[in-house]
Amino acid sequence: MRKVRLATACLLLGGCATSSLVLLPDDEGHQGAVAVLETNGQPTEAVINQGNSRTKLGEANAASKPLGDKGLKPEEAALLTILPPPAKSFILYFDEGTTTPTAESQSVLTALRAEIASRSGPQVEVTGHTDTVGSGDDNDRLSQQRAEEVLNWLAGQGIDRSLMLASGRGERDLKEPSIDNFSSATNRRVEVIVR
Amino acid sequence: MLRMSIAIWLTASMIASPAFAEIARIKQSSGTAFVERNAKQLKPAPGLQLLAGDRLVTGKDGRMSLTFVDNTRFAVGPNSRIAVSEFQYDKTRQKGSFVTQVDRGSLAVSSGKIAKSDRDAMKVRTPNTLLGVRGTKFIVEVPE
Repeated sequence: MRKVRLATACLLLGGCATSSLVLLPDDEGHQGAVAVLETNGQPTEAVINQGNSRTKLGEANAASKPLGDKGLKPEEAALLTILPPPAKSFILYFDEGTTTPTAESQSVLTALRAEIASRSGPQVEVTGHTDTVGSGDDNDRLSQQRAEEVLNWLAGQGIDRSLMLASGRGERDLKEPSIDNFSSATNRRVEVIVR
Repeated sequence: MLRMSIAIWLTASMIASPAFAEIARIKQSSGTAFVERNAKQLKPAPGLQLLAGDRLVTGKDGRMSLTFVDNTRFAVGPNSRIAVSEFQYDKTRQKGSFVTQVDRGSLAVSSGKIAKSDRDAMKVRTPNTLLGVRGTKFIVEVPE
């Protein structure tokens, strides 16, 4: 009955334009899903998991249709082209007990600078890490100094400081799990995320 | 002494309060587009920092794009009115909750770490449905 009334209302209004969902694979080609948790205030358990499909929302049994040959509407395709580029990660390694990036990491610094400069409205998260040699407190300090070293270098290369944030995680997030007081070139690093 | 502990408490709560924290940054915008915050309209210049509760509003020629601190990416199409009604993210644990309300218009989403952290940690509300995002890319359209 309720459905009938809703349909009548739509006719009177000159055709209810219903909400819809287009489901696409992500940039790595993985297919995720979107669950319909509620429809018109009622809990539902539908899961939309068919890639490259279109689903009308608001009906109790949402049925997905493949996009098919027609593909996306022009305005949908246009919308996807303005999605910002995915976040990109960089890792720089450091000589033991120092804030000096290894010789190999110098080229990563250059690539990092170029990536930031190429983005519109960038946000840069710089996180320092250490291995387990030395005390936890010393490593907190060293990891922060490593992150700041990278941030300062980027600032010296003309990247606005207000775009960047440096923090240190000490030996809390080991890339390579290890016992205490273990020298690890893999763990002595700064991870940078450019968004 | 009491005054001092209140001062400390205030400082601590300000740091902890997500209301003051940046949740996303505008990347680009074109045409008629603005960010609505506490009844004020802000120009969505590249680099503008968004806060939880902000609304993204575009006119018939307007568009904007943004990236959240959990790596979620949004593209907002013309004639849209979209609110980021809830956004909480713990960077260290890479967990949080994220609710976006699409009142009208179109929104393309490439989901980030919050959607991956827990089932339906990221939700999108349209006028007639509540969606749980399970790690993917999608477009929601809500005609006027």
